[in-house]
Amino acid sequence: MKELKILLILVVVVLVGYWGIEPYAHSVMHGEVKKPDYNYSDLKTTAATTGDPAKGKELFVANCASCHGLKNDGINPGMDKNAAIASFNVVPPDLSNIAAILDHKFLAAFIKNPQQATENPKFAMPPMAQLSDEDVGHIIAYLSSVAKKNLDGKEITIEACGRCHSIKYQKIYAETPAENLKAYLGKVPPDLSVMGKAKELEYLETFINNPQNGLPGTSMPRLGLTKESTEKVVAYLDQIADPHREQRNKLGMWVIGYLVVMVGLTFAWKKKIWKNIH
Amino acid sequence: MKFMDWLDERLAVRQLIKVMLTEYYVPKNINFLWSFGVLIMVVFAILVVSGIFLLMYYKPDSHLAFDSVNKTIMMDVEYGWLFRHTHAVAASIMFLVLYVHMARGIYYGSFKAPREIVWITGYILFVLMAATAFTGYLLPWGQMSYWAAQTITTLFEKIPFIGPDLVVWIRGNYIVEDATLTRFFALHVVFLPLLLIVFTAIHLYAVRIVGSNNEDGIELTKEEKKHGKGIPFWPVFMAKEFFVISVFLIFFFYLVFYQYKFAMDPINFTPADYLQTPTHIYPEWYFLAFYEVLRGFFFSQNLGLIAFVLSMFIAAFLPWLDTSPIKSGNHRPLYKILFFIFVADFVFLTILGKLPPTGLYAWLGFAGSLVYFAFFFALPIISRIEKKKLEGGR
Repeated sequence: MKELKILLILVVVVLVGYWGIEPYAHSVMHGEVKKPDYNYSDLKTTAATTGDPAKGKELFVANCASCHGLKNDGINPGMDKNAAIASFNVVPPDLSNIAAILDHKFLAAFIKNPQQATENPKFAMPPMAQLSDEDVGHIIAYLSSVAKKNLDGKEITIEACGRCHSIKYQKIYAETPAENLKAYLGKVPPDLSVMGKAKELEYLETFINNPQNGLPGTSMPRLGLTKESTEKVVAYLDQIADPHREQRNKLGMWVIGYLVVMVGLTFAWKKKIWKNIH
Repeated sequence: MKFMDWLDERLAVRQLIKVMLTEYYVPKNINFLWSFGVLIMVVFAILVVSGIFLLMYYKPDSHLAFDSVNKTIMMDVEYGWLFRHTHAVAASIMFLVLYVHMARGIYYGSFKAPREIVWITGYILFVLMAATAFTGYLLPWGQMSYWAAQTITTLFEKIPFIGPDLVVWIRGNYIVEDATLTRFFALHVVFLPLLLIVFTAIHLYAVRIVGSNNEDGIELTKEEKKHGKGIPFWPVFMAKEFFVISVFLIFFFYLVFYQYKFAMDPINFTPADYLQTPTHIYPEWYFLAFYEVLRGFFFSQNLGLIAFVLSMFIAAFLPWLDTSPIKSGNHRPLYKILFFIFVADFVFLTILGKLPPTGLYAWLGFAGSLVYFAFFFALPIISRIEKKKLEGGR
């Protein structure tokens, strides 16, 4: 009885300390994580998000293909990778699957004004002021018609992050050389190999949705991913950062089960030895 | 049995077993808190074994360290993650077990005569363990590893005259860099563990000579312990100890498999970057109370540093601060109250140590630091009160 009382005091002291240095300290240090906004409701655009794919293709070739390729439809970019790096310090993305991973409203607002949509005043792509609201709709319709559906987390991550971020533990390396990224963004973007461990998953989701909500002043542009793509990226980052989770959970059950048996045996032995001691 | 005879002739093993185990008596009136000494040995053994396995893959080089830990050990080596989790959690839990062991000593007066050497060697072990933890924490070469080492080594700058040179000497560079990592590695895996083993031997030898204290703090002679008031270390005491160890291991492995984040801070999964200071720099939980004294004392860096050093070492002088003839807190009402205020204050300082030192938190931290020292400075006073009471009672 007396020993249980001592144990209780010990447990209470440990739990109060734990509460203070983990949940409480974290809530004070990091504050409330903002919820992601997948409607991109701050973006007001009159541009259409759908139209005629055939017209869209013509507009794409005329307006976009000087920088962007579209492998799915056999379109090569007008400038090669090195020329693009030399002029923009970043590789322009191939747009084959872009409509499958980005929110279409965001995409429309982005084509009209990339700096505003990404919340990055130095974003490399110039605004496409020459395109009318309908033109934008046609282009998005075309991009949707060629995009592969059901991309997995790894594919989306490479499409969305791979031009600037490396994931070296997965042997994935940023398309743009580090020194150019430094010139473009002010620093080399971090490697994502164990990002799923370095940050809370909830934070990652908010951060990817809008980097300024997670790290105000960061030079990472807002990407405009849909809810589904964001969740797939976060799940992928989580999985590659902690590849042995299943093994760990399973082994943990065995070890603890074994120790429960040990507790039973050692308790019985203690009873036996202490039987005659009062 | 023949083999035992053979050994006995050469090593006197039977006599050894008698002296060390079967005829070494501990008092009967002790509770499970007296099991924490052996628990510390268990955790130390876990640290050594898991550490040896980590050593086989770890690379003490600032360019390789982070990847050797987070890729090679955590991802590629079979069950490498298990050894790292075990090592990290054991390092953290070592201090929980140490603090309970020390608090038991303080409450029941186990530091008092004739156990001063036990207390002092124990305190040296605590400081050595702190140094081992601190040097080990740099090895994964993450952001918090780096900045904790940077911050703590900077403290030495304040030492008069030799300070700035001393810092460079400790780091082997003007900032924490590869040279620092390699020497911390050497200290962590060879020098400090060696010292720990030496002082553990002295600590245990001293305990064998003076015997364990007990709940009532009334000394028992060997004869009394042999005839009813004591139990032999083996098998009686150890029978209970094995039960305590088993229960402890459930808690320990639950943390290893399911709650390891407190021992492996997420921020340390970002590689060290000397150009980017993290927003919040804090040590591991077991140093937080002392850290809070450091940064909060009279809001002055110099006084903070003096108070920090004092707070780390003042408990070593307990046998001379508390001279009351009564040992156990069970029979000292005033001391009992002070003790629990001290424990609450230590937890309070630990929590504040992780919070940003601004506004109200800074003032609370300062108040907590004062209470911390007040406990030690109150000891001579209540010792005198208790002495007077005893004399009056006669």
